[in-house]
Amino acid sequence: MKEKNKRESADDVARQRRTGDPLGVNSEVGRKLKQYYDDLVSDEVPDRFAQLLAQLEQAEPSAKKG
Amino acid sequence: MAVSQGFKTDLLGAIPSLRAFAVSLAQNADRADDLVQETLVKAWDKHESFQMGTNLKAWLFTILRNEFYSQMRKRGREVQDSEGIMTARLAVHPAQQGQLDLKDFRAALERLPEDQREAIILIGASGFSYEEAAEICGCAVGTIKSRVSRARAKLQEILEISGEDEYGPDAISTQVMASPNS
Repeated sequence: MKEKNKRESADDVARQRRTGDPLGVNSEVGRKLKQYYDDLVSDEVPDRFAQLLAQLEQAEPSAKKG
Repeated sequence: MAVSQGFKTDLLGAIPSLRAFAVSLAQNADRADDLVQETLVKAWDKHESFQMGTNLKAWLFTILRNEFYSQMRKRGREVQDSEGIMTARLAVHPAQQGQLDLKDFRAALERLPEDQREAIILIGASGFSYEEAAEICGCAVGTIKSRVSRARAKLQEILEISGEDEYGPDAISTQVMASPNS
């Protein structure tokens, strides 16, 4: 998970360097925005979502009818 | 048609991003998780309308965004809880470098109008292209560009960021407006 995020942000950095993106690594707003968002993305996901998907799967008509 | 195992796995994988986007929009952790839940249920029900091979994350963000605005319309605008749930939740995070900075940034972000906030998040943080962001928000690419530009200028102003001469607001607007196909 962490590894994946790191790789994605490295790609973003490369993309921003190429395109001269106004929110790239050279922009303080861009850096803070990334930091803010990465902090949210790395937040632990509550179990309720995995449970929800399991419930949805069980409720599938195909699961009942076979 | 049954929901495929792959689709379910992809949904699970998208949850961290969906939650981050939801918190950015709603500025409230509980409401954000309700939005994510609603999004997952809708995505599950409508899975047949998702075209395999297209961008699942963009599709999910579109559903979440529509849900957010439809809830806003239903409830009317609520007073934003700027020092409430989010702050309390994040306060239990271990102290880390830049945490104070981050708090200031969060407060600044909250002061942006929703349309500008979502645009700068989609482009500057979620990793979408201007074209994808325009599709998610159902508006023109130029609209996204101008919202990002205004959001960035406003954040700079609130945070009193200076010394970015070569990337200053004028240079940015010129750059953004001059490259409709970038």
